[in-house]
Amino acid sequence: MALSGAVARPPRHDRLPIALVTLAVAAPLLLFILYPLAFILGRSFVTETGLGFANYARMLGNERFLGILANSFAVTLVSTVLAVVLAYLFAYAIQRTAIPWKGFFRLVAIVPLFAPSLVQAQGLVLLFGRNGLINRTFDAGIEIYGYWGIVIAMVLYVFPYAFLILSAALAVADARIYESAEMLGAGGARVFRTVTLPATRYGLAAAIFVCFTLVITDFGNPMVIGADYGVLATEVYNQVIGQANFERGTVIGMILLVPAAIAAFGEKYISARQFAVVGEQSRPLAIQPSPGRDAVFTAVVVAIALAILAIVAIVVFASFVDLWPYRMNLSLRHYAFDVQNGIEPLWNSILIGLMAAAIGVVAITASSYMVEKLKSAASRPLYFVSILPAAVPGMVLGLGYILAFNNPANPVYLIYGTLLIIAICNVYHYHAQAFLISSTSLKQISPTFDEASATLGGSRFDTFRKVTLPLLAPTLVGIAVFFFMRSMVTLSAVIFLITPSTQVAAVSVLLLEDRGATNQAAAFSVCIMAVVVAALLLTHMALRLAGFRNVSLIR
Amino acid sequence: MTLAIRGVVKRFGALTALDAVDLDIEQGELVCFLGPSGCGKTTLLRVIAGLETADAGAVLLDGADLIATPARLRNFGVVFQSYSLFPNRDAGENIAYGLECRRWAKDRIRARVAEMLQLIGLADHAGKLPSQLSGGQQQRVALARALAVDPALLLLDEPLSALDAKVREGLRFEIRALQQRLGITTIMVTHDQEEALTMADRIVVMRAGRIEQVGTAAELYDHPETRFVAEFVGRINVLPVAPDGGVCGRLMALPEGRLAGRRPALVGIRPEAVRVHAPEAAPAGALGAQLEQAIFLGNLTQLVLRVEGAPEGDPPLLAELHGLRPDGFAPGAPFAVELPPAALRVLEWR
Ligand SMILES: Nc1ncnc2c1ncn2[C@@H]1O[C@H](COP(=O)(O)OP(=O)(O)OP(=O)(O)O)[C@@H](O)[C@H]1O
Ligand SMILES: [Mg+2]
Repeated sequence: MALSGAVARPPRHDRLPIALVTLAVAAPLLLFILYPLAFILGRSFVTETGLGFANYARMLGNERFLGILANSFAVTLVSTVLAVVLAYLFAYAIQRTAIPWKGFFRLVAIVPLFAPSLVQAQGLVLLFGRNGLINRTFDAGIEIYGYWGIVIAMVLYVFPYAFLILSAALAVADARIYESAEMLGAGGARVFRTVTLPATRYGLAAAIFVCFTLVITDFGNPMVIGADYGVLATEVYNQVIGQANFERGTVIGMILLVPAAIAAFGEKYISARQFAVVGEQSRPLAIQPSPGRDAVFTAVVVAIALAILAIVAIVVFASFVDLWPYRMNLSLRHYAFDVQNGIEPLWNSILIGLMAAAIGVVAITASSYMVEKLKSAASRPLYFVSILPAAVPGMVLGLGYILAFNNPANPVYLIYGTLLIIAICNVYHYHAQAFLISSTSLKQISPTFDEASATLGGSRFDTFRKVTLPLLAPTLVGIAVFFFMRSMVTLSAVIFLITPSTQVAAVSVLLLEDRGATNQAAAFSVCIMAVVVAALLLTHMALRLAGFRNVSLIR
Repeated sequence: MTLAIRGVVKRFGALTALDAVDLDIEQGELVCFLGPSGCGKTTLLRVIAGLETADAGAVLLDGADLIATPARLRNFGVVFQSYSLFPNRDAGENIAYGLECRRWAKDRIRARVAEMLQLIGLADHAGKLPSQLSGGQQQRVALARALAVDPALLLLDEPLSALDAKVREGLRFEIRALQQRLGITTIMVTHDQEEALTMADRIVVMRAGRIEQVGTAAELYDHPETRFVAEFVGRINVLPVAPDGGVCGRLMALPEGRLAGRRPALVGIRPEAVRVHAPEAAPAGALGAQLEQAIFLGNLTQLVLRVEGAPEGDPPLLAELHGLRPDGFAPGAPFAVELPPAALRVLEWR
């Protein structure tokens, strides 16, 4: 039966309620995504002599800026390639070889997701910095600050994202194809080149695009480890926060948006093209042990896992050291948080995380239901706005929020400077990913349930409450966790929205690090990681108790 | 409840899925929509249910047009091919769904659910989730769910096609018995001839968005009006009529056209209506024929015969004989056949 596809015009009696619901769903999307973006875009054209491209022209004629632009691409391209290659090796080892302890290594691969994004730079500085463990112990004279420091930090930062995508791509395989390839006499390398690689090319492309966007928009790592090596993201921060030059910040932000947007839409284009490699008859691949291959891959996986764990370990260690690097005896004093705002930023982060989880679940349920189930003329535009944030660097969104809402004439000004606006900003910053998770689940809820409900006398609301929502619930739990996690670790959008009384933990790490308070910064990072891991464990257990298995909490 | 369908048209883009359909359904009868895949059966059922809006025409329930009534207010019970039980609700909760939507009191709902479970013989399975029930059980629960609300009309879209043959046969009788006991007007879509013949009071044969013929199983078998119906229900010999009125090279008395001046173009005769004789016992006026093939099918034997003097392009004639053993029938053996005029059906006019 070909019942889906064309958008049926809803019957007359349904039109008014649908219009009202559409409005209720569309209004916040427009207000918190499109409006700030439109504002920042408009602002970038404002010059002393009226509207025009003068700001852009001046920026692109500025030699220093062009250097920064080139730096950004140099960092991004190299980090992306390295991260994707390493993640492919790691994912291949997990999915296609017989290495030991797969569950453990899989977990290690995603550890960076639990930490604030700048933890990589933080750890690298502790290990290889001027006062780092290695230089202090061996007097090695390693110079980590600058280009290679940024690249290494970025590779570690985006590694788990690439790993998750590639691992999924490598997980599906049809044993029959591999068998026939071998039967035809193809050797290992040839099978890889002619079968494995083509079958995972969409996953590869998606991983490349995702890493590209993440690297080019990240600013925590280059802030901490970049020294004089400026990139676009740090330049936005320096212009806005350092020199209070909103115009320049805005223009650079818009320039940053272009490659990020191209990569994000490239990724969408690719994943829409993804076809099923596994048919109904295919058999999963049975992995045969092969001592040589397995030994090589075990070595690779162990090396990568060690690098990831070393970063986390050194940060945890530093948080317990009395005064890095002078008094290396252990102490708990950094957990007293007697500096500046004390422990408050951590509580703020947790509160923001909880608010973002609650608001996010409601907002995502509404927008995905609207687009997937209440098909109407508004569905396509709403879909576009819903996934638009994937293309928008967090800094640009945050800057848009300042420009649009830090204005007493705007009603949102009432919550400006509160934790709430930060929570809202996080929800819309990560709207695209959560929206796609939810709409994928909704797509799997067959439309015949809606029809069955209607013929039994159920209104759309009955259907939603008694059927759709219960079926969607496990996914929504995953989405709540996603928002909480991201709120705990994100820096880029919130950096512009914090005030002295709404400081958040991830920003504290950055500021403390900047001030040279290495130990306290480390302690804050450890607390963030502890909270995220605790939240994950609690939710995992709660879901288990409720009888749900196979709910993926880590995205 | 009588249902009247008047001139219903439904288009999907360039495709006309329903082309001016007219139909009347009487109180308490079970009507089957029968036809090949894609002929519009499901679409017609969905228009009646209110799940699809017709582009033209009307659906009248006891004379009242349903056009402005949405599916959820029509009070029709619908059972889908894919069961479509709500996976988050157990059997009892599924049956209770329509009652909850009608805001029944809790104890009334409980009593009704128990009664329905009893009716379908699943009283012990109330607490099971759909995933814990077999296909046949799921489809019975779906039936109970549809019937619990006392629907004005029961609509079944290939309710048995996802089940295996044995379960299907049992459920056929169960559904039919239940329908007759409750006296509920029912429409069932199927593309299974046997299902339609065993269950339906009347069968609606559909083809390419149009109704080809409506009638009881016997009417459709004995008096098919078109070649499509004749061939869809049972086997038939289709014989072209020559412009001079000859069939198999012999002039015959054929029925007159309903419209003046129209003459038959195709006639049909069921294989068991063909009379076969040994050549020496041939009655006067019988046609000579030669055996092409004899097929022994146990209680009956099929003879494939070529009639002498029949025009070149005519297909061979199929005859069925009961209780005859074809031992000793060799290809080429001579026979005599009669085509009784009373058994000839006009399938196409010119
Ligand atoms: N929503 C739709 N959009 C476009 N075309 C449709 C839609 N629903 C049905 N059709 C087309 O209308 C025609 C009739 O479809 P319908 O489902 O009514 O057939 P059916 O008789 O039930 O067939 P089957 O026995 O295969 O179920 C088919 O050609 C089908 O492809
Ligand atoms: Mg159908």
